[in-house]
Amino acid sequence: MPISYWQAIVLGLLQGFSELFPISSLGHSVILPQLLGWNIHQNDSYFITFLVATHLATALVLLGFFWSDWVRIFRGLGRSLRDREIAPDDTDAKLGWLLVVGTIPAGLLGLLLEHKLRTVFASAQSASFFLMINGLLLFGAEALRRRAPQPEHGDPDGRVARRVSWRDAFGVGSIQAAALVPGISRSGVTMGGGLLVGLSNEDAARFAFLLATPIIGAAAALKLPELFGSQGNGVRGPALVGALCAAVTAYFSVRFLMRFFETNRLTPFAAYCLAAGLACTLYFLV
Amino acid sequence: MQRDRLLVWLAVVVGLALIVIAIVYWAEPAKSLPSWLPGHEAGSNHHHVKHGIAAFLLGLACLVFAWFRSAGPRPRSAAA
Repeated sequence: MPISYWQAIVLGLLQGFSELFPISSLGHSVILPQLLGWNIHQNDSYFITFLVATHLATALVLLGFFWSDWVRIFRGLGRSLRDREIAPDDTDAKLGWLLVVGTIPAGLLGLLLEHKLRTVFASAQSASFFLMINGLLLFGAEALRRRAPQPEHGDPDGRVARRVSWRDAFGVGSIQAAALVPGISRSGVTMGGGLLVGLSNEDAARFAFLLATPIIGAAAALKLPELFGSQGNGVRGPALVGALCAAVTAYFSVRFLMRFFETNRLTPFAAYCLAAGLACTLYFLV
Repeated sequence: MQRDRLLVWLAVVVGLALIVIAIVYWAEPAKSLPSWLPGHEAGSNHHHVKHGIAAFLLGLACLVFAWFRSAGPRPRSAAA
């Protein structure tokens, strides 16, 4: 069996929380097997199949966690399409189209660059280096933020819809593509982008999670045939176990992070990425 | 007004063209794609499904843009 059940549990738990914490799940899933001496590599077809299952579980957890938001967003999208305009007070419709505008560039860049970037930056050494870069990006986003961190009141979706412009959504969506490089965190760059366009930490996290749901879900759905095809032979059992573990940690992670960012910053994650990236870079160099 | 209409027609034409290109990507192997399309590769039987999805999404975005842009001006209620 290419991935044992024990490895599936560890990698599933890791994937579930590192996908949502701004610390790069892909980077960790490249680095950890190397650190533990496991014969698992990022470009192995069975490992990609395994990751599909864990990503799908994470996307479903995100969808479930923000279910009421998504229902409102889809109703808003429907209203705006019917009326052929986005009413100025319809924040659900505005947020829905902001997510579409942010998802299109991320999806296009992902579709076109994913394979090339995954091939070029597949090593644990490069993932460690980019984990350091991720730490610097998070520090930079906190330093250059437009708003002071403070608790906010009222409808969070409405706040995001009012503060984010179309251009901002396009920019924040586009930088998600940076997360195709192992070591760079999708949620990290989108939260950082959110801070740079004037969102609070809480709203930036919410916008990042809403933006991540269609991308993670679509990327997983696109590769779902591999899980159920011949490529999934021998890995479906561990993939299911890994997916369940990822779902559990993803749920607790999103719950924790939404509370954490009400009053806290990205700084602890930036420090972790910088320290862990530096330590792993030195370890792999020696 | 004239410029708006031109933009709408441009978005419709580009949107439809991209959706046609998406279908070509899905239906034809890389060797049969026109040489001017990205992904053309002589002798390859690979289907560029992802290129097709990308073209389809872009085409859909163009059509949605045209749908909103072509709506006439809305009367606003005086009461506020």
